[in-house]
Amino acid sequence: MERIFWVACPRCRGKFYCDYDLRFREVKLICPYCENQFFVKESPHIDERN
Amino acid sequence: MPKDLNGFIRHLRQHYPQELLEIDRYVKPKQFEVTAILKHLTNLNRFPTVLFDRCENLCGQDSGIPIVTNIFARRECCALALEFPPDQAQMPLSLHYSHLERQHVDPVVIPEEKAPVKEVVFTGDQVDVGILPIVRHFEMDLGPVLTMIACMRDPDIGAYDASFIKAFYKGPRKLGISIHTPHLERILARYEALGRPAPVIYILGHHPAFSLGSLALTPYERDDYESIGAFLQEPLRLTPSTTWGERFMVPADAEIVIEGEIPPGVREIVDPFGEVTRHYQAQCLRQVMQVTALTRRRQAIMQDIFSGHEEIFNLGALPKEGGIYNTLQAKLGNAVAVHLPHSGVGRLACYISIKKTREGQAKRAGMLALNESVQTQVVVIVDEDIDVFNEPEVIWAVLTAVNPQRDVDLIHNIHTVFTTSFGFNKLIIDATRPLDVAYPAVIKVPDEAMNKIKLSEWLDLDKVRV
Repeated sequence: MERIFWVACPRCRGKFYCDYDLRFREVKLICPYCENQFFVKESPHIDERN
Repeated sequence: MPKDLNGFIRHLRQHYPQELLEIDRYVKPKQFEVTAILKHLTNLNRFPTVLFDRCENLCGQDSGIPIVTNIFARRECCALALEFPPDQAQMPLSLHYSHLERQHVDPVVIPEEKAPVKEVVFTGDQVDVGILPIVRHFEMDLGPVLTMIACMRDPDIGAYDASFIKAFYKGPRKLGISIHTPHLERILARYEALGRPAPVIYILGHHPAFSLGSLALTPYERDDYESIGAFLQEPLRLTPSTTWGERFMVPADAEIVIEGEIPPGVREIVDPFGEVTRHYQAQCLRQVMQVTALTRRRQAIMQDIFSGHEEIFNLGALPKEGGIYNTLQAKLGNAVAVHLPHSGVGRLACYISIKKTREGQAKRAGMLALNESVQTQVVVIVDEDIDVFNEPEVIWAVLTAVNPQRDVDLIHNIHTVFTTSFGFNKLIIDATRPLDVAYPAVIKVPDEAMNKIKLSEWLDLDKVRV
């Protein structure tokens, strides 16, 4: 199974998941609930259990 | 009259009204209203083609463009699209599909001024994809997504390839586009190697035979416009694109076409999106499409696919069933039927019935099916008296005829497409009755009694409500 990790938007706390390829990239994620853009390290919650 | 989407809808309205549901209440697709209605219908076990007459666009205005969706949710409607009898929508339809897949019809070219898709043309700064009533489908989706057909052209051999691809609205003239089918990936890789932007068009509606034809499993070198003509049973009409002229031809009878280019090396965030497997594709980096033109019919209808539900399951199953059957017949000669059930999203599971004459034939059938269908994870082989289109019968066979020590084979480290928890593993389950051991008989009411009793002579079936 492709590896994913869950994040939470620092603004609205909505949770969604990303391809693990993005885990350590300097790319801004986009929250699907509020369109907030943030880096992975800004997420108050990361679930990357494998 | 050349075949088009409106003509098909008219045909349903006139001759098969039970297949079509028309909603004239104003709907807001970006607020999940389209998919909420479809999901309610699904929960009621109802799968009509649904035409939303009045739809809001992304700018919050009446788009003036209806949406049609769920066309492929019933195999019977897929049969109607191919002018095949709807009461033969199971194995005969799959065999008919595989027959069409081997044909081709040369397209014809018509001038732009005669092409319905060029009745209204927007270019440059006039283009705003937001004028379309783009559907937002599922809760975690990144945003509204177009779910129809992208088409690209190989720069070396000139063949066109059309595939279902999702595209995310990112701005008036930008889409995030996820190129992930083998042929389109190959074309894109070629352009990236050349360092050139890749021309691409997005086709938002055509006669459903066009869409079914785009799924034909043909060699890379075969031009999909020719294959699609075979499914339409007439030459596909083409016309020069607005952006590239005759260097890239577009379907003249499409409803809406978006033209654009994929710049090499550019990647932006797309997803999540509720996918075929009923899970969301994780957020990731994919290509972008810089939109150069948007053309449409004056009375265009936009088509959308209800992903993760019956419509997309049939679009997975139909192109594969006939092909797998033909392969089995060519190599083994004892295949009876093949079905990729909805429980496996029309891709992950394959049920095969065979007329077994010796042990080991079931496993050969399983291996041939896995080779033919890369997306399939589990193949179940049953005897000829099991209806592979009746899933409880197949499960009964698995639960009563399978000896796990002998009849279940796990194959490791094999290429696949969808990565579910199965990973890169596949399973073959031989659920046929063993021929080399004494085995009990299946219960049966005698044929004589079944033939003698005519239900209509005994009871009024209309009074039987359960």
